[in-house]
Amino acid sequence: MIKITELEKYYRTEEVQTIALNKLSFEVKQGEFVAVMGPSGCGKSTLLNILGLLDDPDGGSFIFNGIEVAGFNERKRANLRKHNIGFVFQSFNLIDELTVFENVELPLIYTGVRPADRKARVHEVLEKMQIMHRRKHFPQQLSGGQQQRVAVARAVVNNPKLILADEPTGNLDSSNGNEVMDLLTELNEAGTTIIMVTHSEHDAKFSHRIIRMLDGEKVTENILVNA
Amino acid sequence: MLKNYLKVAWRNLKSDGTFSVINILGLSMGLAISILLFMFIVREKSFDQMYAKKENIYRVLLHREGNHGEETWASVPAALAPAVKQSIPEVEKTARLLKHDFGGSAFIQANEQDFVETGLYWSDPEILNIFEVDYVYGNPVSPIDRPNTTLLSKSAATKYFGNRNPVGETIIVDNDKTLEVTGVFEDLPENSTFDANVIASFSTTNFSKNPSWGNASFETYFLLSPSTIPSDTEQKIQHILDKEMAPEDQWYSFTLQPLAKIHLYSAGITDSYSSRNGSITEIRNLSLLALIIMLTACINYMNLTTARSQKRTKDVGINKTLGASRKALILRFYIETGFITFVAILLGTILSILVIPVFNNITGQNLNFNIIFSFQFFMAFIAIWILTTLVAGSYPALYLSRFTPRKAMYSSSSKGSIASVIRQGLVVTQFSVSIILIISVLVIHNQMEFIRNKNLGYNPENVIAISTMAAHSGGNKNTIMNNFKVLPEVSEVSMAQGFPGVDVSGRSLYKDNATNGSTNIKTNKAEASTTEVLKLQMLAGQTLPAVKAEGDSLTDVVLNRQAVEFLGFTPEEAIGEKVNMQLGNNAYIRGVVEDFNFSSLHEPIGAYAFHNYNSEYEKFLLLRFNSSDIPATLEKFEKVFKETVPDSAFEYTFLDKNLEKLYASEQQTARIAMLFSILAIFVACLGLFGLAAFTAEQRTKEIGIRKVLGASVVGITRLLSADFIKLVFIALLIAFPLAYWISERWLEEFAYRIQVNWQTFIVAGVLALLITFATVSFQAIRAAIANPVKSLRTE
Repeated sequence: MIKITELEKYYRTEEVQTIALNKLSFEVKQGEFVAVMGPSGCGKSTLLNILGLLDDPDGGSFIFNGIEVAGFNERKRANLRKHNIGFVFQSFNLIDELTVFENVELPLIYTGVRPADRKARVHEVLEKMQIMHRRKHFPQQLSGGQQQRVAVARAVVNNPKLILADEPTGNLDSSNGNEVMDLLTELNEAGTTIIMVTHSEHDAKFSHRIIRMLDGEKVTENILVNA
Repeated sequence: MLKNYLKVAWRNLKSDGTFSVINILGLSMGLAISILLFMFIVREKSFDQMYAKKENIYRVLLHREGNHGEETWASVPAALAPAVKQSIPEVEKTARLLKHDFGGSAFIQANEQDFVETGLYWSDPEILNIFEVDYVYGNPVSPIDRPNTTLLSKSAATKYFGNRNPVGETIIVDNDKTLEVTGVFEDLPENSTFDANVIASFSTTNFSKNPSWGNASFETYFLLSPSTIPSDTEQKIQHILDKEMAPEDQWYSFTLQPLAKIHLYSAGITDSYSSRNGSITEIRNLSLLALIIMLTACINYMNLTTARSQKRTKDVGINKTLGASRKALILRFYIETGFITFVAILLGTILSILVIPVFNNITGQNLNFNIIFSFQFFMAFIAIWILTTLVAGSYPALYLSRFTPRKAMYSSSSKGSIASVIRQGLVVTQFSVSIILIISVLVIHNQMEFIRNKNLGYNPENVIAISTMAAHSGGNKNTIMNNFKVLPEVSEVSMAQGFPGVDVSGRSLYKDNATNGSTNIKTNKAEASTTEVLKLQMLAGQTLPAVKAEGDSLTDVVLNRQAVEFLGFTPEEAIGEKVNMQLGNNAYIRGVVEDFNFSSLHEPIGAYAFHNYNSEYEKFLLLRFNSSDIPATLEKFEKVFKETVPDSAFEYTFLDKNLEKLYASEQQTARIAMLFSILAIFVACLGLFGLAAFTAEQRTKEIGIRKVLGASVVGITRLLSADFIKLVFIALLIAFPLAYWISERWLEEFAYRIQVNWQTFIVAGVLALLITFATVSFQAIRAAIANPVKSLRTE
């Protein structure tokens, strides 16, 4: 599903150029659950942004679903993104001014789904995430775990083929964290490909495969059989 | 500590470039305008303050019942001053002023050259005891006591005689009176209501011989002894009147107006000779506008500072944690504001000096920047600085310093917070004001266009009026008219006492039986072709006869429709009727013309008559010309005129140009209102721009999330602009009724006026929305095209 080859990304300030990704290559197959690990600043988030079509690589190739997307412009990337990719962030990134329902509905609005269908779909997802009773609340009124459920609900509402999770349990206590990991596992078992960046060895064990990174390069790849 | 505060203030200023520029630019523009207005107001308030006896100087006002309610004149009968002087001891000095030709210009021959003088006053000698003048040359004891003597101002003397001492020389006025120059005085200051260039002895005029109680054409000043109560003097004047005439003959009463009130509080008072009239209403309106602009700038400052408070709250939190008291923080924010307002005031002062010429040009004022170096200005500078600092700085200082350390460091303000509600309220206020200003400017503009294009009932275009005052003693009007009639450029020639737009004589028109009532009528001694030159529409009968035989005792009259309707005739019935209108005993109606606007559109059309009674002079040669080469035509006219009337200066006016002068004060008001409105809107836009930038910044995260989820640039732009557009709609709701009320009040002053129509409101609304959208969308688009990754990174 995803194949990156010799991917490069630099960050420039006035004085220094930092290499975030240094000729990174790997492949992720449909239905896989991959964890990316590494110390702060190793390029994990940069990688996730590029995989999520939020950012452009400076070099190398990125084939998504058989299409080369490395040179795509903003509009093409946005189009591909909103139909295929869901995001889960460490800090949830819910919009404070919108209710739970409205937050989850947002991706459907942007993909042009009709209002009646949107309502049905949002309700379905909220049921599944067990936060239906909270649909009229604002994010600030929810606990961290509940907020992350909303974020996951929003990520999956469009039935994306790929979910990118950036330290999804980073702001949660262990029981809430486990719940979120269970949710992701369920989604993966239902067929969704998941790539997750994490610091937590515990969380990484939920995945099929761990890619370890250092200074923008892949160091090792462990395949976990009994995830 | 102070040094530390200033250092932090400076760094904040530098780090937030856009906000600082908007704050300082907005404030300094507001201040520049305030400084200009301050200078203007100081000048207006300084009028007549230079006269040592100013406390005891009064002008006599005449009150009478006119056709449209009470009238107040600044001119009174010539008999009043001598009578008062004789019998009221506390009136120490009296002086009558008659501007030459009842407010016209004089032709002066001096040093064998011809000049036109617009500032010649015939005056009693005591005027020099009331308004004291400084002498350059001459004998200050009794310079204008005798007939045929005159004083010249320094500039008049220089104009006529060059730099030499002209005392003992003579000048000739209108080819008629020869006056001896007895002294030269320093020019009266620009802020003196008394604006004479030449002060000639009143005893030279015929009016001094048998002063009458009938002709009220003399501006009269009294100097009262100190501690006199003016109302007592007014009563004594009434006693004099009661002695002089029976109560039914008293068509007027008198009051005294203190000198200090003359310049600014003379609205509605007519027949004043000075050209330097101020208006307290104008000062009030301009002050209000200046205040609005200043407030707008202050609101900008408050809005932007509180908007930025999120950046500053952390700073406040840390300071509080480290032990800063609330008082210290308040002081700090005031110092920071004071620093910015100081910079703004300096810039504003420089800006105001730079725009003085522009301001003078647009407003017809004559300000100069010397006043900036006065103590008065310095005090005002300090006052404005403190006031602006307090107004602009209070909200941020009190708001930001209130945060508890914990809240300051960890809270994130949400959309519905009190601060943002206040901010929105302030934006709505600013926009309401801007919209009111836009509508006002449109209404003023429309009314001015309406006046310009209104069918006046006559055609003022391509008509020139040449003054023939110097000709009446020797010149022959037929010769003059014939000499011009032969010119190919001239299609019609006439002579008349006056023309629409200048004042003619006032008389009373009586119904057949005088007890049935009378009305005021304007009468114009004219030649037959005047109706043709003006292109008036004849309704019945014919114009005045071309020739009036010597010794013919009949008077012919051409009335307008208003006049015959007052008499109760149709135009046809009126022809041949005898009419009693103080034009002798044998006046008959010969023709009737359709009504035309002979004075400004402020007044409804009244009764008007052309006549050939032998009373007034025909002071103007009226020419309808058909050439488009104005300079060449004028040159030719001047040549013919000089040949026909030697020893006369060529003074002329175009009828349509003269008409514009009637609306000069409205035009000026319109220009000032326009200028200030544009500035006010600009300052409001600056604030809006800053606020939009802030909103975009505040919603960076939300924009990022929405973009990640697939929002388009257009969608984001719309999202950000919508909030502001909503505020504009609220402002429109507030502004419309207010603007309507203000416009109606202004238009009430015109007898002929436009109706305030809905199109004006639509235009203003669309304009406000466009301006808002243009201002806001720049920021919105910038936020929308930003990379979402960056915005999500700002955790």
